[in-house]
Amino acid sequence: MEPLLEVDQLRVRFRTKGSVKALLEKDDDPFIDGVMGVSLTIYPGQTFGLVGESGSGKTTLARAVMGLVPVQSGAIRFNGKNLIGLNRGQIKPFRRDIALMFQDPAGSLSPRLKIRSILAEPFRIHNKLPDNLPDEIGRLLKMVNLSPAMGDLYPHQLSGGQARRVGVARALALSPKLIIADEPTAGLDVSVQGEILNLMARLQDELGVSFLIITHNLAVVRHVSDHTAIMYLGRFLEQGPTQTVFHHMQHPYTQALLSAHASPDPDAVHHRIAISGEIPSLFSRPKGCEFHTRCPRAKDVCRDRFPQAAEPIKAHQYFCHFPLSESLQ
Amino acid sequence: MTQPVLDISNLSVDYQTPRGTVQALRHIHLQVPPAKVVGLVGESGCGKSTLISAVIRLMAENAHVAEGEIRFMGLDLQAMSAAELRGIRGRDISMVFQDPMTALNPVLTIGRQMKDIQYRDPLSGKKKRERAARMLERVGISDGLSRLDNYPHQFSGGMRQRITIAMALLVKPKLLIADEPTTALDATLEVQIIRLLKDLQTDFQCAILFISHHLNVIAELCDYVGVMYAGELVEKGTVRDIFHRPGHPYTRSLLECDPSVIEEPTRFLPTIPGDIPSLIDLPEGCIFQDRCEKVMSVCRKTQPPAVHLAEHHTAACHFLEE
Repeated sequence: MEPLLEVDQLRVRFRTKGSVKALLEKDDDPFIDGVMGVSLTIYPGQTFGLVGESGSGKTTLARAVMGLVPVQSGAIRFNGKNLIGLNRGQIKPFRRDIALMFQDPAGSLSPRLKIRSILAEPFRIHNKLPDNLPDEIGRLLKMVNLSPAMGDLYPHQLSGGQARRVGVARALALSPKLIIADEPTAGLDVSVQGEILNLMARLQDELGVSFLIITHNLAVVRHVSDHTAIMYLGRFLEQGPTQTVFHHMQHPYTQALLSAHASPDPDAVHHRIAISGEIPSLFSRPKGCEFHTRCPRAKDVCRDRFPQAAEPIKAHQYFCHFPLSESLQ
Repeated sequence: MTQPVLDISNLSVDYQTPRGTVQALRHIHLQVPPAKVVGLVGESGCGKSTLISAVIRLMAENAHVAEGEIRFMGLDLQAMSAAELRGIRGRDISMVFQDPMTALNPVLTIGRQMKDIQYRDPLSGKKKRERAARMLERVGISDGLSRLDNYPHQFSGGMRQRITIAMALLVKPKLLIADEPTTALDATLEVQIIRLLKDLQTDFQCAILFISHHLNVIAELCDYVGVMYAGELVEKGTVRDIFHRPGHPYTRSLLECDPSVIEEPTRFLPTIPGDIPSLIDLPEGCIFQDRCEKVMSVCRKTQPPAVHLAEHHTAACHFLEE
């Protein structure tokens, strides 16, 4: 099967100070790396789960794929065509095929527009107004289990779950091939969380769209995604088929992240892999493997250089000098 | 039996709104025993925050206590004057809030804020700084004395939450109220904060009222749990009662919805269909009737009584037996 989206060695940098200031302060590298050499492949009809703590670069990666932040190097191929270097006009047709569901559902809906107008915007922007707009909007609302009468409401009149469903409907408006969902369930109660995820699964079955789901909720990723990547300070430390990543993880960070989740059983015995401290700042990126400052298995070589992928060709990839399958001496 | 630190009995709170009276809390009975952690769990809009604001009597202007009593160490909080209450808040009762960035003042150093909170103690400024520095180290921030000169933005999210916990404990409270203290944090930090709270609670022997919508955190930290739904405490018991032998259908559904308990990967997750009923126009009978799988005609007519299931375990449902 041809991949839908292929990202190859993508790098996104942000300037931290102006060139004059950098010159005066003799700073020859006035940049921080938001995304550092990330590669991923998404196939049609597949769900790719992207997991990481705050500040790991998940959202920056998504924005780069949408063409919303400039890319330093690497390639983003959508249906085989490289999106990097395209100007605004050239990238616009691709934006129809890639839709974004924003993190904050209420905040991403204009408070002064009725739901009806919010859902009509994608059509207006892309000059694709259907012959019968009200019918089309009714159809979109029905698709996400909302009644067409909801079109007359304002965003503040909706509950959190309903606002999220409007976000899904808006993403679906132009029949995209890929939907990037940034924290689709953050801030939702557990009883409603399932509703949104089930809706996304149903739409995938019916329409065949692919999803890139960005989240820090591992319990959700385990159920909904086919392929999972673990991101830390702008890099994918491990990625592979979801079952492999969850049951045969190789990276100590993956193990720590998975064991950090509390279990809803008061008598559960936790085999916690203690990792101390917090994710380092991008301004002081650690040398070598970025995770060595918190890693219980770190040795001198980890402080020195970043590990190479052990098996670059296989679907399950990880970057660690001392993967978990090897015992420590 | 020892006197509970906090004893809430038959508490009801209303909000007056242009659309009518919102009955946000109805007949809540809850005790927090000394040196125990009591968790309150419930989804948005169930009244958790209203309950806390009633306890510390910092309610919205349109809210009022319709009936019931809140006793702290045997004293009736409702009957106290504003000055008497100020003597209790921030000394005997402290709070940790959800968002540490908004709980700390961004234009003052941590040291200044940690010194100010000890204003009641007859110590010299230098002594107060030293106490603050020791407390910072106690919550896992090394080099406390020099970090006192930093501003809140110079700390990361997890450290800021540690600082607010340090501040809450500096006054040696008898009751600590923690309102979703880990919601804004990542999983690895959440574990660190929970472990810290557990350690500190053992050291300081204070009672904690812990509010969260996150079942897993409640299971790990708490001794007793209360489950709230649409303004009512539908079930309470020890943590094992609630998680191993849940009685109320709402508690059961809530536990089933948690994707981390479902072993086999599934594309379709369980949900609780329906919405919370309007608290202005309350339905007759059981509050959970519209979303309950077992609903019968009796549920639509009469309110279920609280049924005693075990020593500490009660649940309000028609289909339970003593």
